[in-house]
Amino acid sequence: MRLSVRSVQNQGIPTASMADIAFLLIIFFMVTINFEVDKTQVFLPKTQIREEIPKKAAYISITESGQIRVSGGEEISVPVHPEDVLSFAADVVARDPQKQFVLKADKSVPYRYVDGVIDSLKQAKASVIYLLSEQETVDSGAEGG
Amino acid sequence: MKLKRGSVNDEIPTASMADIAFLLIIYFMVTTTFAATRGIDFSLPQEDNSSLVDKEESVLIEIQPGGVLLVDNKPLPLDGVLEYLKPKLERNPMKPVIIRANEMTEYGYMVSVFDELRQAPEKIGLEVKNVSIPTQREINMFWY
Repeated sequence: MRLSVRSVQNQGIPTASMADIAFLLIIFFMVTINFEVDKTQVFLPKTQIREEIPKKAAYISITESGQIRVSGGEEISVPVHPEDVLSFAADVVARDPQKQFVLKADKSVPYRYVDGVIDSLKQAKASVIYLLSEQETVDSGAEGG
Repeated sequence: MKLKRGSVNDEIPTASMADIAFLLIIYFMVTTTFAATRGIDFSLPQEDNSSLVDKEESVLIEIQPGGVLLVDNKPLPLDGVLEYLKPKLERNPMKPVIIRANEMTEYGYMVSVFDELRQAPEKIGLEVKNVSIPTQREINMFWY
């Protein structure tokens, strides 16, 4: 009896589609990349309620020591004196009355710093503030603060 | 003399395309930062629809340094605030709630209280619709 010759199998890993996959990944990262306008390092308070913050919102960050940085939403944040927050906010609201503001404050900062910023935003007739927070988990909720 | 012409490859070399692509992927993976883009929204009163909140008719939540809560001058734990508010909200769904934090109180405690009030629909089935966070300037001007 004559046996048929076994077909020779290619043992190499097919890499023809590697470049396609790589470019798809690049497109994914390019679309989803989020350029932070404010890179201030703070420990955010944790909350259970968290709404999505609109893109291009203006940022006001307050560090634990009370230093304030501001950004109109498109440029990198710059440090300002607390008394200048009102003029910054008024300028932003004058350009766009519906502009949302994001307050990115350290959870340990004394409230008087936050109070001053909120007061400036109220005087500038800002409409909405988002208090930036992290997701609270069951464990972190038990820790408190 | 016979000259020999070299043949020119007229295809674009794509052998290094995958290498370049993977370098770009590594760049994006390293530089991508997963920014916190969520928070609690708080609508500020606009001049045309704002009204003075009557202190006597409202629930006053004072936050002392260290996170101690005084609700209508009575100490309460954070998880007891909504139970305290429930009968008042049943009688008056627009019951004003004022959050007043001491200037030395850590900001995180104020956010915790505000977060607790925003969770009212899930916890007690009622919404706290009228929350005020007066600033020190407003307190100096309007508190009586």
